This record gives sequence, structure tokens and C-alpha cells, in this order.
Amino acid sequence: MPVPAYTFLVLSGVIFTLGAIGFMVRRNPLVVFMCIELMLNAVNLSFATMSRYLNSLDGVVFAFLVITVAAAEVVVGIAIIVQVYRAGRQMDVDELDLMKE
Amino acid sequence: MDILAPLVLLVPLAGFLVNALFGRLLPRRVVGWVGAGSIGLAFLFALLTLSQVLGGQKLDQTYFTWWQSGDFNVPFNLYVDALSTLMILVITGVGFLIHVYSIGYMREDSGFSRFFAYMNLFVFSMLLLVLSGNLLWLIIGWAMVGLSSYLLIGFWFERRSAVLAARKAFVMNTIGDVGMVFAAFLIFLNLRVLDFQGLFSRVHQLPKGGTVITAICLLLLVGAVAKSAQLPLHTWLPDAMEGPTPVSALIHAATMVTAGVYLVARMHLLYDWAPTAAATVAVIGGLTAFFAATIGTSQVDIKRILAYSTMSQIGYMFLAVGIGAYTAGMFHFMTHAFFKALLFLAAGNVIHAFHDDQDIRHMGNLRAGLPITFWTFLIGTLSISGFPLFAGFFSKDEIIRSALSATGSEVWLGVLALITAGLTAYYMFRLFFIAFGWEWLAHDNRHLHEALPVQTVPIVILAAGAVVAGYIPVANFLAPVFGGAVEVGAGAFIGLAALSVLVALVGFAVAYLLHARRPELAVAWRTRLGPIHTLVEHKYYIDELYDRIFVRPGLALARFLNDVVEPRVIDGAVNAVATFTLLEAREFRLLQTGRVRSYALVTLGGAVGILLIVVWYLGYLPWKSGA
Amino acid sequence: MVIGFAIVAAWELVTAVGVVAFRKPMYNALSLVANMLGLAVLFLMLNAQFLFAAQIIVYAGAVMVLFVFIIALMNPEADISFRPRGTEWIYGVVFGVIFAALLAGLLFNRGLTGRPGAFTPEVIAAAGNIQTVGTALYTRFLFPVEVTSVLLLVAAVGAVYLAMRRIR
Repeated sequence: MPVPAYTFLVLSGVIFTLGAIGFMVRRNPLVVFMCIELMLNAVNLSFATMSRYLNSLDGVVFAFLVITVAAAEVVVGIAIIVQVYRAGRQMDVDELDLMKE
Repeated sequence: MDILAPLVLLVPLAGFLVNALFGRLLPRRVVGWVGAGSIGLAFLFALLTLSQVLGGQKLDQTYFTWWQSGDFNVPFNLYVDALSTLMILVITGVGFLIHVYSIGYMREDSGFSRFFAYMNLFVFSMLLLVLSGNLLWLIIGWAMVGLSSYLLIGFWFERRSAVLAARKAFVMNTIGDVGMVFAAFLIFLNLRVLDFQGLFSRVHQLPKGGTVITAICLLLLVGAVAKSAQLPLHTWLPDAMEGPTPVSALIHAATMVTAGVYLVARMHLLYDWAPTAAATVAVIGGLTAFFAATIGTSQVDIKRILAYSTMSQIGYMFLAVGIGAYTAGMFHFMTHAFFKALLFLAAGNVIHAFHDDQDIRHMGNLRAGLPITFWTFLIGTLSISGFPLFAGFFSKDEIIRSALSATGSEVWLGVLALITAGLTAYYMFRLFFIAFGWEWLAHDNRHLHEALPVQTVPIVILAAGAVVAGYIPVANFLAPVFGGAVEVGAGAFIGLAALSVLVALVGFAVAYLLHARRPELAVAWRTRLGPIHTLVEHKYYIDELYDRIFVRPGLALARFLNDVVEPRVIDGAVNAVATFTLLEAREFRLLQTGRVRSYALVTLGGAVGILLIVVWYLGYLPWKSGA
Repeated sequence: MVIGFAIVAAWELVTAVGVVAFRKPMYNALSLVANMLGLAVLFLMLNAQFLFAAQIIVYAGAVMVLFVFIIALMNPEADISFRPRGTEWIYGVVFGVIFAALLAGLLFNRGLTGRPGAFTPEVIAAAGNIQTVGTALYTRFLFPVEVTSVLLLVAAVGAVYLAMRRIR
């Protein structure tokens, strides 16, 4: 394979970092959610890379399961955000501190 | 398994429990006779053990193992030989008589049952002390005896003076206890045993007269000195007279204060092996005997005079055991128990007759009013002064003789003892003449009446003992323990006896002259000897000295600790911990913001941390060249 | 091959930044869709055809569609200030950069460790990619698959329940 493994991995890392930074910076909960998805995707890329370069199926299977779980998580998360919206609260992550101690 | 010895122990303990738990509910009669009866029963059992040890046997019976840890093995064993049998006979015998007396003496006291409970506890403790077969249980008995003494001295606890006296006694006793415990440490450290059989067989492993054995004996001596009120730990005994008179009779005359003598006698093998320590015992005894006798000449409280007399006589006993005349010392112990208890109980009758006034200058002329008390007290005085045919003569004489015929520097102790005998006769008869008097004295106390039979009968029995006890062949009885008595030639015997009789007569004569015939001479001499008299009357100011050196600094230290250290350091430390926890908690609470962002930050920070660890630990640093 | 990778990689980076940076949430969502499609291509390059399909069908096709629907439904405005409140975001950025640097450092100087398995591309090609993955899923990874299906059930129930709640 002409493309060495680490380039994929570095790409994965960069995307992950971008997602992390976005997660820390944005205030709209939906956008924050999307950054989370971005991070999950980056990890999937990493899994697939390792699977290819180590001649194993484990990575691929795991990535598939990650997709599944991400789907479930998105469902529930969206439901919560919708509820927050319908309750009339601000769509602002900084304002939503109901879990405060 | 032998049950006699434990029975002797357990009966007074049972008496204590009954009176302590149920005393308030039972009628006085029952309480009194339970208390006295338990001691009487113990005396009967003690008589039975007498039959066991006649003929020189001894019994060392272990009943159970009390503590076992490595090679530290302390059994609960009782050691019955001639010495301990003598002790328990005296303790229970004289103790029984004193208990019976107390039924009458204490009959109007509100703490009647408490009194008998404590007295039984004391007897139990004392019996434990002398029957114990190992040093640890002896110390336990020792401490319990000290406790009982404290409880009984402070029996009338509403009186501040009594409470202070009890505390003083206890503190001084504790000093002695510390010495004993250290001695036990040393013994175990060097010989790995604490029971007497083992100890006695291993003593000779230590170098004779060496530092270790001398240290052990001196530490034991500290305990003995504290318990027996010898110099320099003697100041508690006169104050202990705050307790009821039967207490003074039993504890501070006949038994507890003689525990020190018993200790040295029991440990005689150790003291034989450490001549310096033994000499110290003798010197302390001799000096105390003299010193106490001098103070006794100037006191005016009837019980205090008797207290100093006790101190002095115990000094004689210490002198005896110090020079190796153990038999003489124990003989004197026995006779002293009789006549001292007698003196105290008779004095108790007098005190009651005068409605608790103890000043002898207010007394006098008691022959008609209290005849039995009068004559028995006279017998006691004659005995203690060493008049021939009375018990005190035989025992005291034996001590003086042993001292004078001893080799080396102990002779001066014998001379001192002789002088003290004269002083004893003097101050005792002084007491007798002033307090009891004869018809020619001024006060007319014919209206006073004698005490109850329950009080007079025991005194009469004790008086009989004070005469007869001198004829008991104690030396032969104790021979299996200490070896045979020292033989003295007949000539020396008679010569020394005559000398001590002479000295006693001189004392008597002086007392007769100064206090019976010509009281004005007494006043004249007192002014002549002015400063000396003041010194002696104030007990050589030793109490004041101790107060300056020990008590005041101690109180200052305690006050400092209480006012400064306690609130600032100790409470401060505890409060600091609490405050610190509070602060930390407050800090940590800030983490719970409820905002997603901060939680995410923490997670991210954690991820970075883990990566850092991976990089650091596995050595993957970006600027290193790869592998 | 390398050029193809470079193009896709660039596409990935651009769209990733787009997800983070756009103001209007709709643009963010669309960027994410584009990113996922690019990722699918990468999967293809990595000889993970099954994953390529799954990514497009499930992720880009269902999840992102949901996202887009919700954004459209709630009609959110872009009037929220971009600047986040508090100081945490600085830390976040800093941490993120450090994270990336460490990762890069880790990756640049090491080869891959780990035991190579038996599934070389040739072996996979012999049986067909999807068949191989499917077999693996239903034999070795049966338990995780079953658990995941339970998870999906729970998520569905949870979503229904949340949607039905009356809000005051």
C-alpha cells in the first residue's frame, strides 16, 4: 500500500481534534451534537485503518457497532433537545445548567 | 487442686460484692455481720492453711494462665508458705476484730454499708497481695490496696480535708507503683520470669551486688517506701488519719502499711544478693524510726501521734529486714499489728466519747468513765514501749539485738534504734498521761461512759494478743522461709535486753515527770527548746518543702496545659482538620456546574493527561527519532 | 492512489472545519454530511466495502437526515453569539491543540505494532467483503450484535417516551 498507515491515523486525529475544539467552543446544542458525531467518525476512520493494515476484521466490526450506537445516541439526544426547545428554554449550552448541584 | 487459699481470697470478695450491691437494701445488722463475718470466715480458712504449712511445706498452685504472649507467661498462682500464712492470719484475724468493732463505731454513719464494702474490698486486695505467687499479681493487689486506701481515707468525702488527704495518699502511692512496675520490667528483661518460684531460682544468674539487681531492689524499695510511709514518701500517713478510726487501725497501722515490709521479706533472696540495696532499706528504716519518733513527741492530735508511732515502728521493721533479720522484722510486724490496732481502736472509743474531738489537751482523767478503754490502752502503751513480758518487748528487742550484733556499719543503726526506743516510750506515755491521765489531773470526765461491748470486746482480745503474742515461736515458724534464727550467746542476750528495758524506763520516767507530776516543767522545756520544738512540731517542714518543689510546679504545668495547650494545640488541630475538609469540599463543589462544557473540558483534559502518560512512560517523544 | 488520498483528505479537513465553524446550523449539518461521504470514500480506499455502505446508508442517510429535519423544524436562528461564555473554551482549544500534537508525535515516529491477523485483502476478496464481515458478525461477534439491538430498542422506547411527555 503506497499510503502509509500513519497518514490515515493523523488525519483521523486531526478531525477528532477539530471536533473536540468545536465541542468546546460552540453554544448551539445541535452544533455541539454534530461535533460529537464528527469525533465518532474520526474514530471510525482510525478503526478501519487499523483493520486494513493489520489484516484483521475486528476494527471493521467495531466501527460498524459504533455507527449503530451513534445512531441510537443521536435519537435520544435529539429527543432531549427537542424537549428543551419546546419548553421554551434558550438553545444555549451555557444556559442549560439544570443538572447543577 | 488446693482450694483453701482461693477460699481465703474469695470470701472477703463475696462480702464486698454483697455489701456493695445490696448494702443499701439490707438492715444494718446484716450488713455489719456480713462484712465482719466474711473476714471471720476467711480467718478460719487461714487457720486451716496453717495446718498445711506447719512442718515447712509450701504450696505454689496455679489456677489458670492469665496472660500468655511469647515467653511472657503470667499465671494466676497463689503461693502459700509460712510467710504468707503469717500474713493472712494477721490480716484476717486482726481484721475480723476491727470489723466487729466497726459495727459499733460506725453505727450512726450514713455510709454504713459503703464502709463495710470498702473494708472487705481492702481485705481482699491485701490478701491478694500477700498470697500472690508472681510479681504481676502482687502489683495488682498492691494497686487495689492503694485504691481501697484512697476510698477509705476519703470516706467522709464531704470534708475537703479528707478528700485532699486521700488524693495525697494516692499520688504518693502511685509514685511507689511506678517504681514497682519498673522493677518488674527489669526483672522480666533480665530473667524472663515474673513468678516467684522461677524468680527465686534464677536470681543467682545475675552478678551479686551488680547494677541490675541493685536497681531492681531499689525500685522495689521505692514502692515499699511509698506504701509503708517511710522517708521520703511518708507525708501522706499523718493526713490519712482523716479516715474513720477503724480504717486507721486496719490499713494504716496493722496491714497496708506493712506491705512494704512483706515485699522486702518476700524478695529476701534478691535483697541478700544486693547488699547495697539492703543497706539502703535498713538506713531508711532506722532514720524514719528516729525521725518519726521525734515528731511524735510534739503532736497534740491523738491519731497523729499514733500515726507517727506507726511510721516509727515500721521503720524498725525496715531496719530489721534491711540487715537481714527477716524473722525479727516479721515478728515485730505481728506484735505491732496487735498493739497498734488496739491503740487505735481504744483511741476511737475516746474520740467518740468526746464527740469527735481528737485534741488530747481536751482529754484526761478517763479511768472512771472508760475503764476498759483505759486499761487496754495502757496495755498497748506498755507493749509498744517495750516493757518486759509484753509482746512489744520481745520483738523490738530482737531487732535491736540483731542490729547491735551485726557486723560492720550497721551498729550505729542499732544505737539509733535504741535511742528511738526510749523516745517511743516517752511519747507514748506522754500521750497516755495527757489523754487518759490519772486522778490527779485537772479535768473531771467522770460523766463519760464506756463504749458498747461490740467495741470493747475486740479491744480486750487485742490487748490479750498484745501481751501474749510475744511468746509465739515465730522464728521457728518462719525458719523454712528465711533460714534459722541467729544464735546469740546468753550473756549478750541478757545484756542487750537489760539495756533496752533501761532505755524504756528512762522514757517512761521522763514522761511521768513532765506530764503527770510536774506539767509546768514540760512548758518550761518547750520554751527552752523553742526553735527545735517548732521544727519538730511542724514535721520538719517537709510538707511545705514538697509543696514548693513538686506541687506548685506541677500545678503550674497543669494550668498551662489546660489553658494554652488544650484549646490552641489540641482543639486547634482538630478544628483545623474540620476546617480544611470544609474548604476542600467548597472547592470541589465548584466543579458541579451543571454545564456540559465544563464537564467536557474535564474529559478532554483527562484524555490529554492519559496521552501524556503514554508519551512519557513509553518514551515516545515527538522530537526523539523514531524506532 | 496517493493523489486520491490527498484529495479526499483535503475534502475531509475542509468539511470538518466547516462543521465547526459555520454560523447557521443548517450549514453545519450539510458540512457534516459532506464529511461523512468523504469518509465513506476513505473506507472504500481501506478495503472496507461493508463499512462504506453502512456509513452511507445509516450514518449519512438516516442520522444526518434526522439532524437536518430537526434543524429545519426548529428554525433556529444564527443570532446566538458565536463567542462562548466563560473561559473554558480557551482551555478547550489549548487542550485540543496539545492533544493533536501528542497524537501527531506518537504517530509520526512509530510503525504499527500489533499482531497482523489472517484477513489479508486477498483472503477477504476470495470470500467477498460483505460475506466475511457478515460471518464474523454472526459468529464471533454475535453477543455484541444482540446487545446492540437491545440498545436500539431501548433508544427507540426512550425517544417515544420523551416525545410524549407533556411540557408545562
